[in-house]
Amino acid sequence: MENKKGFVDIFSERVWKFFSSVKLAVVLLIILAIVSVIGTVIAQNEAPEKYLQEYSQAFVNLFEVLGFFDMYHTWWFVLLLFLLTANLTVCTLDRLPPTLKIITAPLKPIEDESLKALPFKREIIIKAGRGKAEELSVKTLTRHRYRFITTGGPDETQLVTQKGVYSRLGYIITHVSILLVFIGALLGAFFGFKAFLNLPEGRASKVVYLRNEPMWDKIMDTLGVAKSPVIPAADGGLPAMPIGYYVVCDSFDVDYYINAAGIPTGMPSEYHSTLSVYDLQERKILDKRIRVNDPLSYHGITFYQSSFGAIPEGKGKIKLNVRRKNSPAAQTEPVVLDPGQAVYVPSIDRTFKALSFNPYGIRNPATGQVQFFQTENNEFINPTVELEVSRGKGSKPLYKTFIMKTEAGEPSFPEDYTIEFVEYWGARYTGLQVTKDPGVWVVYTGFIMLCVGPVIAFFGSHKKLWVRIQDRKGQTVVTVAGSANRNRIGFEREFNKIADELAK
Amino acid sequence: MDSSLLFNIATLLYLAAMVLYISYLAFKKNGIGQVASIVTYAGFAIQTFALLTRWRESYQMDIGRIPLSNLYESLVFFTWSTVLLYIIIEFKYKTRAFGAFVLPVAFLALAFINVAGISNDITPLVPALKSNWLFYHVLISFFGYAAFGVAFAVSMIYLLLDTDERGPVVNIVAGIVALLVLASVGYVMAGNGLKTAFWLGLGVLVLAWFIFLIVSGAKHKAQIYLFWSFCVTLAIGMLVALGIDFLYLKAFQHIEAGESLKKHLFEATFVNPSTPVVFISWAAVVGLLFLIWFQGMRLKTFLKQYVPPLNQLDEVTYRMIAVGFPLLTGGIITGAVWANSAWGTYWGWDPKETWSLITWFVYAIYLHARYVRGWKGSQMAVISAVGFLAVIFTYLGVNLVLSGLHSYGGMN
Ligand code: HEM
Repeated sequence: MENKKGFVDIFSERVWKFFSSVKLAVVLLIILAIVSVIGTVIAQNEAPEKYLQEYSQAFVNLFEVLGFFDMYHTWWFVLLLFLLTANLTVCTLDRLPPTLKIITAPLKPIEDESLKALPFKREIIIKAGRGKAEELSVKTLTRHRYRFITTGGPDETQLVTQKGVYSRLGYIITHVSILLVFIGALLGAFFGFKAFLNLPEGRASKVVYLRNEPMWDKIMDTLGVAKSPVIPAADGGLPAMPIGYYVVCDSFDVDYYINAAGIPTGMPSEYHSTLSVYDLQERKILDKRIRVNDPLSYHGITFYQSSFGAIPEGKGKIKLNVRRKNSPAAQTEPVVLDPGQAVYVPSIDRTFKALSFNPYGIRNPATGQVQFFQTENNEFINPTVELEVSRGKGSKPLYKTFIMKTEAGEPSFPEDYTIEFVEYWGARYTGLQVTKDPGVWVVYTGFIMLCVGPVIAFFGSHKKLWVRIQDRKGQTVVTVAGSANRNRIGFEREFNKIADELAK
Repeated sequence: MDSSLLFNIATLLYLAAMVLYISYLAFKKNGIGQVASIVTYAGFAIQTFALLTRWRESYQMDIGRIPLSNLYESLVFFTWSTVLLYIIIEFKYKTRAFGAFVLPVAFLALAFINVAGISNDITPLVPALKSNWLFYHVLISFFGYAAFGVAFAVSMIYLLLDTDERGPVVNIVAGIVALLVLASVGYVMAGNGLKTAFWLGLGVLVLAWFIFLIVSGAKHKAQIYLFWSFCVTLAIGMLVALGIDFLYLKAFQHIEAGESLKKHLFEATFVNPSTPVVFISWAAVVGLLFLIWFQGMRLKTFLKQYVPPLNQLDEVTYRMIAVGFPLLTGGIITGAVWANSAWGTYWGWDPKETWSLITWFVYAIYLHARYVRGWKGSQMAVISAVGFLAVIFTYLGVNLVLSGLHSYGGMN
């Protein structure tokens, strides 16, 4: 019969055997652990000049060939991951039938032959007779929360029981979860993208700029099957991906921690942007105030707050709210003006002129003096505007005052209205990280299973227990025997306890 | 009552418990052991209360965040979880033998922190760190590290008890010479801008040795003993160096509020600007290594009377790793979910992430090596030790040695 096996059969059998070995898994894991170190020692994806500063030309060439500068995406690293996946798949499939057999196997009474192989057993002689012995056994097993079946004939009774069969599934759940994470990551690489968008306040965009193009689009385009939606880069820029709607930045702002004196420190506590989505017919669909850790998702594309910056030579508008004292909060009049510009405010019959704008002003609470500080990176830590207020449509200036975003105490106003600083708008852009990852839910499913699987595998234990009650030469002999696939020490303790209780 | 007073009381109780556990080992009086346990529980209860108080204090200061965000809080939490785990073990395995080893670690770590009292002011967080996922991430990871720490300690005991004799003196001399040569080569190469080459080379050497030990380990007991000496030296040396760091930084350096102490790691010793200090530190390490190697057998005869048999130690190691592995997995996963919620990528292969994955691989190797025929307890103990070395590297080495891009901040 042996020679009837074709070459292909033998070959595939060999391959199957090779990939189902745990030894291969250990070897692959060792290799992966070692090579992963390389990419943590050599900085990844740096500019070529940087590498030349650090290494000689020969090393740079060598590392380039080996792919050490983008190691985790080289063909050989990905191949290692695929080998591990193949190993995992084959190994799990190989063991699936025996595991299922164990799980579905009906409980059977034990025979002398198999009794020998069991790690835990004890014989107890019970003087009170078989009936009493059975009663005692039933009670003891019930007390230990074992649900058992009873079998037997005229000369013996057996109580057969097991606990925790499903713990046998633990490692399968674990392995499948790792496969899911892999599959999810692949889905993301094929059908998702990573991009960014720097969007000035008040502006809209219907494309984002790609860092990596979806692999699927690229392949289909190369094969000539379907044209990629990606708009190729104009001179030196990045390729653009249409998103199918408009995203608009309504405003961007940074909040800062306030110190004990009520003055904002330079330490940001939150970045946030208000984004709106409009369809291509320019109808508004929704808006959301996003923060770091709280992005906006629409049509599978997610926008993350990631950075901000100044628009070159961008001029902002000062936005204020004016309200008469003793009137409800709703009755405010918004005032918008450019630095240097004068505007008439009808509700109070005054004219405001913005004399200056400063990104960081602090009022000395004792003297009322206002001091200005430099900021880095276009931060507006406590934006402050100096206002000149004049009567009516701007005859003689009445007074000058500083209006700032955060006041240490209650600001005082000489006339019967208050002025509130809202924002300095239009001079900055919000930096958005944009991603599409259709695989993320597969990955998350894998994550959840990965949290559960090992716990089941480690803390579950498949315990089997037999209690055989026999009449032998006028004596009642109770044989207790058991096995556990895990935590033997724990089971031994439980087993001894049960046996002790029976012997009493 | 404020939290620092409570922390001080807890530290003193741990000191008392440490003395009691050691005397319990020495005199074998059960009464002493019981008192030791009670004192430990009391210290633990007070430390728990102190942590909660600190949390509340942060809310009173209007910052409101979990007490887990700088090195001070991390270390306090680390000792807390270590003691918690120890208490669980004491209950489950009904042995107090490990107390004499675990409590000193808890006490020393807390003492360093308290004596130095450094950077325990509550500082606000940058936006990217304000995430519940981050909280779970840190919490779960620390529990995992604590479990692996216990597994490491037990493996160390296992390896010591498994050794029959320390072997020829040539071994330790060769080991020390290797250390000296490597140190001086490292010094020269770092000066020449060949840091990367040095670390890569060193990594390859160390890994080759580990693999040699694991694959052929059962036959080379003397080598395993040398490995044991290195590991114990590393653990003790690092704890002591951290302590000196705290003292030094407190006395001579001004650390800005909120600045992570991790940036100043080992500045008092191994990376001190003064060459003599660096030299003395290394000399002290070499001396410690020799001492431990030389006296190990004595420790063994002493320990042998108290600890359970080898197969039980093996089992405890496995159980601890079985606790640590799901926690490490959970830590990596919550970290990934956090990263995804902050910038839309759940995995970026940055050094810290990658090292946590490497650690995960090492423990996966441990779990599967059990199913490879012929691998025995001592080899498993070596893998467990290597796993913990990877943990230490993930936590400290990445920041210290590799340019810590992640450095607990991401966006700063
Ligand atoms: C990163 C990859 C892997 C992880 C995280 C992993 C995880 C696990 C875990 C947690 C267990 C339970 C261990 C225990 O109960 O002690 C397990 C068991 C097992 N794994 Fe893996 N595994 C991985 C890859 C593999 C691969 C590639 C193979 C292929 C041969 C494999 C074969 C096995 C086997 C045979 C068992 C024992 C099942 C049993 O209890 O009978 N594993 N794995």
